[in-house]
Amino acid sequence: MPDSFFQRVVVPVANHDDAATTADAVVPYVENSGATVIAVHVIEKAGGAPDKASVEQREQTAEEIFDTVADGFEGVAVTLETELRYGTDVAATIIDAAHEWTASTIVFTPRGGSRWRKLLSGDVTHKLVESSDVPVLVLPDREVSDA
Amino acid sequence: MADQQQELARDLGFLEAYTIGLGTMIGAGIFVLPSIAADAAGPASMISFLIGGVVSLLAALSLSELATGMPKAGGSYYYVNRALGGFFGSIVGWGMWGGLMFASAFYMLGFGQYLTYFVPMGATGVAIAALGMAALLVAVNYYGVKETGALQNVIVIALVGLIIVFVAFGVLNVDMSTLRPFNPEGWGAVAATAGTVYVTFIGFEVIATSAEEIKNPSRNLPLSMIAAVVTPTLLYVLVMFVSTGTLSIDLLADSSIPVADVAEEFLGSVGALAMVVGAVLATVSSANASILSAARVNFAMGRDNILTNWLNEVHNRFRTPYRAILATGVFILALIASPVPIGTLAEVASFSYLVTYSLVHVSVMVMRRADPEDYDPAFQIPDVLYPVVPAVGFVASLAILAQMNTVVTLVGITIVGVGVVWYLGYARNQDIKEGLVGEAIAPEPTPATTNGGGDGYRVVVPLANPKTERDLLRFAAASAHAHEDGDAELVAVNVIEVPRQTSLEQDVAFEEERVSRQQELLDQARDIAAELDVGLRTRAIVSHDAGDAILDVVEDEDADHVVLGWRGSRTTREHVLGSTLDPVVERSSCEASLINLASETEPDRVGDVVALVGEGPNAPVTVRRAAEFAAIEDDATLALLNIQAPDADADADASPEERGRDLIERVAAEVSLDVDYDTEVVVGDDVEATALEAVDAYDTVCVGATREGAVSQTLFGSLPETLGERASGTVVMAQGASTSPQSIREAIIERLSR
Repeated sequence: MPDSFFQRVVVPVANHDDAATTADAVVPYVENSGATVIAVHVIEKAGGAPDKASVEQREQTAEEIFDTVADGFEGVAVTLETELRYGTDVAATIIDAAHEWTASTIVFTPRGGSRWRKLLSGDVTHKLVESSDVPVLVLPDREVSDA
Repeated sequence: MADQQQELARDLGFLEAYTIGLGTMIGAGIFVLPSIAADAAGPASMISFLIGGVVSLLAALSLSELATGMPKAGGSYYYVNRALGGFFGSIVGWGMWGGLMFASAFYMLGFGQYLTYFVPMGATGVAIAALGMAALLVAVNYYGVKETGALQNVIVIALVGLIIVFVAFGVLNVDMSTLRPFNPEGWGAVAATAGTVYVTFIGFEVIATSAEEIKNPSRNLPLSMIAAVVTPTLLYVLVMFVSTGTLSIDLLADSSIPVADVAEEFLGSVGALAMVVGAVLATVSSANASILSAARVNFAMGRDNILTNWLNEVHNRFRTPYRAILATGVFILALIASPVPIGTLAEVASFSYLVTYSLVHVSVMVMRRADPEDYDPAFQIPDVLYPVVPAVGFVASLAILAQMNTVVTLVGITIVGVGVVWYLGYARNQDIKEGLVGEAIAPEPTPATTNGGGDGYRVVVPLANPKTERDLLRFAAASAHAHEDGDAELVAVNVIEVPRQTSLEQDVAFEEERVSRQQELLDQARDIAAELDVGLRTRAIVSHDAGDAILDVVEDEDADHVVLGWRGSRTTREHVLGSTLDPVVERSSCEASLINLASETEPDRVGDVVALVGEGPNAPVTVRRAAEFAAIEDDATLALLNIQAPDADADADASPEERGRDLIERVAAEVSLDVDYDTEVVVGDDVEATALEAVDAYDTVCVGATREGAVSQTLFGSLPETLGERASGTVVMAQGASTSPQSIREAIIERLSR
């Protein structure tokens, strides 16, 4: 029953690019299915150390990212919810959100980024896959080619 | 939901806030300044630290009140800008930014000096080390390298521990004779030194800039700020006591790593090494926090349009305010590379912050007096201390400023000058009046011609275009006149839509223009209403969403009818009628008329009016509207038109004409139409084409809307849209009152299902 995977999907979005690519990738699966899509953006807190940018500044950015998501789902028959969360551990916060929304799946597209970058800033994808007890689905972010 | 999220964003308790403050406070200052301070004022320089601490304590109290009242990013800058306006806002914003740059450069040079413990090097080597570390910090913050609260706490605890050990062993070793003469340079030098060492006290500001993130701010914010001032003050005084009591003034003054040299005396090389490590950690963490604070000041300035928001772009990938960090970083590197001595860097930073805090004290008093509605600080300076605290704080800050040396004063005043010039040359032209960009709807009370709040028939008319204003008001007035039992009135609304994120500079200049346009538009509406002999109230609104704002007014006024201008075509794929019209038409519960004027340039002529009468639920309201409008002009006529399909089967009871007449009569009776009207029935296969042809002879066409089914397809059917687009006359689309207004949820679902 692959359909049920897309009943209530939590879609983590970190920035404009992946808001757009994720929306594009998810749309074909949820179109006309009456699914609920919950876009989640997490504002990472340093939990004591000063944050890189003020919360308010990042809240503004989050609003814009949600707008990008909404544009991506424009004209698609789904219920779109957006959720702004705060946490020191981005992956754990996304999983918490998935629980609270009783999501069927967490869906996203590969986010790229070099190993160095992941080492220094924390590899959210890896943590999400490792520690989620909600099914995690990674969709291709491009047309499937011979690669 | 918003409140709840706000709560979630608060993750700093007392301890975290305290350590953030301490982390910046116990910075380079205490490791670098003992030699400079001792040189300037001898052992009495410990009094200078005490003075600095007391002045900071006063500032901490004032800041706590302001920060709990306005928990916004930007700290002192934000409070001063809000309380005293853009002129002082610009001075403080630039002052804080400049101060943080000078302080960071000072910290970094201190860092370089302590490295000489490992690698003997001259001034150039120190500067190179400082440049390298500063560049690294900028990179770390540019790329958003993850730092954890745990690491921060470890560093702070290690520093406090080191200093306590230093003080504990040092006190036992103090030689009272070294402390004499206690005050070789006189009290003037002590006061001036207070200015020099003030840079060690600017850290507690960081707590205020994080006010939005502190749990239970009424308690934790003032407490952590006071603790973050008192703890270092005591430690500094003791460190100075130990330092000046251990080494002679000459030795101390010559040392570039004073605290390590002092520790060497009684803790040996292990103690010295520990102090060097402590100094390295302290200078780095202070500079790091300063760079981030500077970016927040930039952000807050951008938010108030004092600075361009270009600087505050958040990096798409790294999620850091990378431009602001780079800009700050470039200045820091330039300052390090410049020949400005380390002591002067510290003093200029002190100067900027003393100017800032003196204005903060003024702001507290201003805010208390002005007492704006949204200012309700959770913490207030206790009554016994008010206004003593801000008054003494203000005077004391100025007194220290007055003691500072000429070079520093000149540089400091130059930074103030930058703020002034910036305000005059840039910000003044950008600045939009306080409260204007507010989220909230601000009704503008204007004298009502008729007493508002009555049960009279009320017509809301959103106005946007001065060219169509008169005609729209004329139609609205016609509707009001028809319901005249003495107190029918119009409510003219104009909405200035501001983007969710107040943005680019051009936008802002545009804003002032829009405000004056709004006033003109509404003034003109008042004149027109007087001519039309109808009561009119105006409401000037600033909102993020015109549709929402109009709906609010409709609800707020308990309106009976809303009259909207309409361009007569589908605007985009997403919106049926337009992003503003859609929500109003879909969600307002009162009657609505959309009017597409025949011409925007010439005054509208009502002339011959025709109402398209069909089976739809809006037929009665359409006929009523048509009758109201036909009454505007003496020579206007009214016709009711029905379109019938040609008979498919010949043996129907009545001919199409007869059926049409019956229907028209029924509807006319339903609305008890008491004026003369013509009846016309047209038969045709293609309803649209037939209708278009039939209405061509009329000047004004009224057509009913239908709100059944999915919005996109049948909001008004295709007929009204076609008419709006193609009919040559004025087209009025009428919608009846809805008994069950669509909930917002339904509206959203419907929107998404398009």
